[in-house]
Amino acid sequence: MSLCQSIDTLAMAYLDDELVAEEHRELELHLLGCVSCKAHVENERAELSLVRKALVAPPAPDMLKMRIARALDQEDRDSARATRRRLGSWLLPGSAMIAAAASIAAFVAIKTAPVSHKDTGDAVATATIRTHNRSMPLEVQGASTGPWLAEHFRRVEPPRFATPGIQLLGARLTDVSGHEAALVHYKVVIGQNQFRLTTVIIDNLSSDDLAGGQALKVGDRTLHLFQQPDGAAVTYVDEQGMGYAFAAERLTPHELLQLVVTSDLIGRAQRGQ
Amino acid sequence: MLAAREKRTEFERQALVHVDALYGAAYRLTRNARDAEDLVQDSLLRAYRFWDSFEQDSNCKAWLLRIVTNTFINEYQRRKRSREVLDAATAEQDATDGILVHAEANDRKSPERALLERSVSDDVQRALDALPDDFRTAVVLCDVQGLSYKEIAEIMQTPVGTVMSRLFRGRKLLATALREFAQAEGYVREETRNAGAIVEDEKTVDLEKYRAAKAREGSR
Repeated sequence: MSLCQSIDTLAMAYLDDELVAEEHRELELHLLGCVSCKAHVENERAELSLVRKALVAPPAPDMLKMRIARALDQEDRDSARATRRRLGSWLLPGSAMIAAAASIAAFVAIKTAPVSHKDTGDAVATATIRTHNRSMPLEVQGASTGPWLAEHFRRVEPPRFATPGIQLLGARLTDVSGHEAALVHYKVVIGQNQFRLTTVIIDNLSSDDLAGGQALKVGDRTLHLFQQPDGAAVTYVDEQGMGYAFAAERLTPHELLQLVVTSDLIGRAQRGQ
Repeated sequence: MLAAREKRTEFERQALVHVDALYGAAYRLTRNARDAEDLVQDSLLRAYRFWDSFEQDSNCKAWLLRIVTNTFINEYQRRKRSREVLDAATAEQDATDGILVHAEANDRKSPERALLERSVSDDVQRALDALPDDFRTAVVLCDVQGLSYKEIAEIMQTPVGTVMSRLFRGRKLLATALREFAQAEGYVREETRNAGAIVEDEKTVDLEKYRAAKAREGSR
């Protein structure tokens, strides 16, 4: 194969310093004797330099550095505050706070999932986060979501949350990690913050199908908390084998957990115990 | 408390030193100073929250750039695209709740903001605007950040061959646009234009294919 045929590839990799030593030597040797390839490389070199020069970006403004330092300070203060107090002051008012405080007292990390566990929990958590991050159009919106799910998916009520400021946006059907699933979106408004919360609902699971990550006991229920590079997810399977996975951007794993605990799923479990 | 302080110190030492690089990437990705600042701040905050999951011996800058790129793709692009869907959903929900909202009025850009955005964009930003997102991301990661094909492939979750081809075409488009702007403003005369730079769609660049072909040849 002549080098001339592959000169586009070779010139690009050469100028990007991606050739291994032998390829590098071979090309340079070839360039000594081939006028047209030599010209091609020089042409590409000039073009690359034009592009790189144009793309030189300004440094970060000092104001930004200060903003970041302030944001990190805030983050430090937030996580330094006891989870319980933080929940009270940030997420929940009045009676909901007391109920949640009771449930937090019941939070006990019971185990880290053993290695031998089925990793479906992990896969569903990852897929939920990914689905959350990707925006797909809703098939039903607002108040008709419940009836629509009953007709197109299963007779299941979308979880409701005691935390105020959480609005049901709608739902669609999807596939999560090979499971037929319903995707329910919520809008969350807390103070100045506004973001989305996604719940993925999967039917026909056994109780440990969504296990993995960190297992947490709330009353007699077990939730699983996953911390993935792209975000956090919380999973839960109810007695009927209906599984739920939650993800929300902007929330730390613990905040997400607190939010899930205020849902009627867990609330029902708590009252029933 | 001590652990928290150590975390902050380590984060500052390893991550915050890259803030200029991250801003450079964000500035070229968003093409606008204000969005770039928001993107960098969001990404660093996210990195700080997930600092525990950063593998200490790996390349911190590449890890951060991955977060910036993903946040950009997920948040900023999505925000743009999904706004209509969410607005519609919110409007319906508000209507269900008996609250009348002028959804349209909420989201219209103010003239000041539009002007500000225009004034920070230069020829380069305009040239970048014209690139497809994937091409722009590949070019920014390689030519602003100096990442290797392999690192870019990992961030963009595509094969190295795809990275090369996006990079190749992205650079050609960009160089052509830059020349056109320069020419329109009289910096460059017509004859200095390189006719060969009109994007060569039929060309393929793929180092792995080249190596595979060469290996086959060698074994014959």
